[in-house]
Amino acid sequence: MEILAGLFHGFAVALEPANLFWCFVGVLLGTVVGILPGLGPPATIAMLLPLTFNMNPAGAIIMLAGIYYGAKYGGSTTSILMNVPGESASVVTCLDGYQMAKKGRAGPALGIAAIASFVAGTVGVLGLMLVAPPIAKFALSFSSPEYFALMSLGLALVVLLAGRSIVKALLAALVGLWIASVGTDLFSSTSRFTFGQMELLSGIDFVVVAIGVFALAEVMVNMEAREETQLLPVPKGLKNLLPTMQDLKDCRFAFLNGSVIGFLVGALPGGGSTIASFLSYGLEKAVSPRREQFGTGVIEGVAAPEGANNSETGGALVPLLTLGIPGSGTTAILLAALVLWGFKPGPLFIPEHPALFWGLVASMYIGNVMLLILNLPLVPLFAQVLRMPVYVLYPLILGVSMVGVYSVSGSLFDLLLLLVFGLLGYLMRKLDYPSAPLILGLALGAGMERALRQSLMMSEGKLSILVARPISAVMLSFAVLVLLIPMFGKLNAWRLRALEQD
Amino acid sequence: MKSASSLIALVALLCAPLSFAQGFKPTRTVDLVVHTGPGGGSDVLARAIAIMVEKEKLLPVRLQVINKPGGNGAVAAAHLAEKRGDQNTLGLFTGVWLQTPLVSAEAKVTLRDLTPIARLVLEPAVIAVKADSPYKTLAEFIGAARKNPGQLKQSGGSNTSRDNVVRQLLQKSTGTRWAFISFPGGGERIAALLGGHVDIMVIEPEEAGEHIRAGNMRVLAQVSERRLAKFPEIPTLKEAGFDVPVVPQVRGVVAPPGIPKENVEFWQDFFRRLTRTQSWRKYIEDNQFEDGYQNAADLAKFYEEFTDRMREILKDAGVKTVR
Repeated sequence: MEILAGLFHGFAVALEPANLFWCFVGVLLGTVVGILPGLGPPATIAMLLPLTFNMNPAGAIIMLAGIYYGAKYGGSTTSILMNVPGESASVVTCLDGYQMAKKGRAGPALGIAAIASFVAGTVGVLGLMLVAPPIAKFALSFSSPEYFALMSLGLALVVLLAGRSIVKALLAALVGLWIASVGTDLFSSTSRFTFGQMELLSGIDFVVVAIGVFALAEVMVNMEAREETQLLPVPKGLKNLLPTMQDLKDCRFAFLNGSVIGFLVGALPGGGSTIASFLSYGLEKAVSPRREQFGTGVIEGVAAPEGANNSETGGALVPLLTLGIPGSGTTAILLAALVLWGFKPGPLFIPEHPALFWGLVASMYIGNVMLLILNLPLVPLFAQVLRMPVYVLYPLILGVSMVGVYSVSGSLFDLLLLLVFGLLGYLMRKLDYPSAPLILGLALGAGMERALRQSLMMSEGKLSILVARPISAVMLSFAVLVLLIPMFGKLNAWRLRALEQD
Repeated sequence: MKSASSLIALVALLCAPLSFAQGFKPTRTVDLVVHTGPGGGSDVLARAIAIMVEKEKLLPVRLQVINKPGGNGAVAAAHLAEKRGDQNTLGLFTGVWLQTPLVSAEAKVTLRDLTPIARLVLEPAVIAVKADSPYKTLAEFIGAARKNPGQLKQSGGSNTSRDNVVRQLLQKSTGTRWAFISFPGGGERIAALLGGHVDIMVIEPEEAGEHIRAGNMRVLAQVSERRLAKFPEIPTLKEAGFDVPVVPQVRGVVAPPGIPKENVEFWQDFFRRLTRTQSWRKYIEDNQFEDGYQNAADLAKFYEEFTDRMREILKDAGVKTVR
């Protein structure tokens, strides 16, 4: 009842014409920022902060949040069309999204990304509205051993991202873990693998590596095989550009999976949308009856991670608004904005400013609808990008990649790194090493190492802390199960062969 | 004392147009370089300054924040060093700029290689436990640490952070030891304390404020020379019986090397006028910072002292220093 009253009040705030306008401005800006690789929501929000100073706080927070979740919608666009991950959370989207585009299904891929984002984004807001306090409590019970178990579970997914050879996948994952260890060690302040380069002191940016091994390598491989390249097929007609009923049916579980995983991982202060998207992709693949087709362009391989990274927004707002604890760069700057406007985000924020909280929640329902309406008509438009001849498309991909990398840090050194990782990606393609495990290792490596060392410091060196805690033990057992999946496959094949011989 | 300083400020304010006429005056947008990405502590302060400068009409040109993240401050410091002689660039430094060159050979630019302009703020800290913790005073916590060496835990940042420095000083003066667990983000540090996974933490007073008000956290002592206005009941480290040096968390302004003397005078004067404005005072108060204004000459002296002391503390903590 209390929630209904709050929501009613919230819609009264969110539906004020001015706030409706700011909501629209926010989601529109978010979509644009999301489509452009590199320039992410934290930078955009930081640039707009001075403008919000004279705004009504409700309108301002509605707009800034709009940028935050709006960017998650746009992030998949370049992943699908160009294999250029726009932000870390849409790296996984490249795996099946770009393959769909190559098969002439860019439209359905973009469409399902928008629909999954809408469904999971809305579920995320529902979660924020209904279960924020208990989820925040659950998130606090999560500590280093649990994070280590969660990341182990994520890393175990490497066996699902492997191509033909498990060994090659493991090697690639190891290289990813190694890249993650570059930089200053947090615990001892020692430089690791920095080769005397001060730019490497803070490590290598995830997006630089991902764009290098995905986009740059793709362009190089295609340029080499230039005789065979032909235009990517783009079917005509709006109907062929949107997902079919069958597509939606295939994604039923992905919607649920993305929504739940995204929200839960988002609510953890040490979680984040990258881990959420990898986990939901892995789960989707693990339970799918057509597991072996993942990575060749299956639609639920796009829906699950895209859903997860949108539902994550609702989750990430839980610790921010109920405890004043930011879990990511974007929530940190939202926190800074609230402080600048004179609020004190913390455990008493929601009870003391119900109009602001409920106004925000209501505006997020409205914003997600706006985003769906805004994004679906863009699908046919963006799908046309692929009609461009290769001598236009490849330079465009190169340009987008470079601008994306440069705008993250404004450093030429990162462009150099991009080239290095492009070459690495190219070599890996030539030698038939899968690149997804490398990215997975890189995404999880730093956090996993930290969580393990923190756990061992907490237990004075006893490894038993990892299995003595129930949540951690359960997740580690799941990790072991996932690692055994390929063996089940082998066993099954062996059993079938034996049956045939009978 | 207070009226004297405001008198000086008044005189400075009256003389300002005069010194404008003969000295340096920025003619195009001034870049304020910070070492964090958008949303980091320095970035937020820099943007707040930019807003104040606009609101109080302190400069004829705009102040624009430039993010040069990377290298734990080294990239931003090197960027300023490369801008030798540039008259339209400033940098907002923090303790990280001073500490990174001490421990990382790759970070070659120290504050000595740049032009000091002014120190702006000192950030005090408080020592906090979870509200249901058995420790009601810092002495009780130290007593428990003595009984169970290495068993109690503190959450904090890297091992060169102020959190660890406070721990090192306390450990050394009391002959006790407890574990220090590093977390990269402030949110994770607080979550570790509130979740009951660690026993104690050093936290910024403003961050702790709301958790105290909600009854989730309790403050044992303050890391500051004087009691903070919003914590009148809480003893400082010294009052709590621990006479250890108070290591300040510092923020201030530097310029590229090789700029003319009148530029330095212009900027140190400009920042003094900034720190006397109503908006600045409100900002300082809201964030529970201490006014730490020092002019260029004093800042250079501060830097030398701070570096020497820090080097000693880090050595005691077993951290390898390279300079």
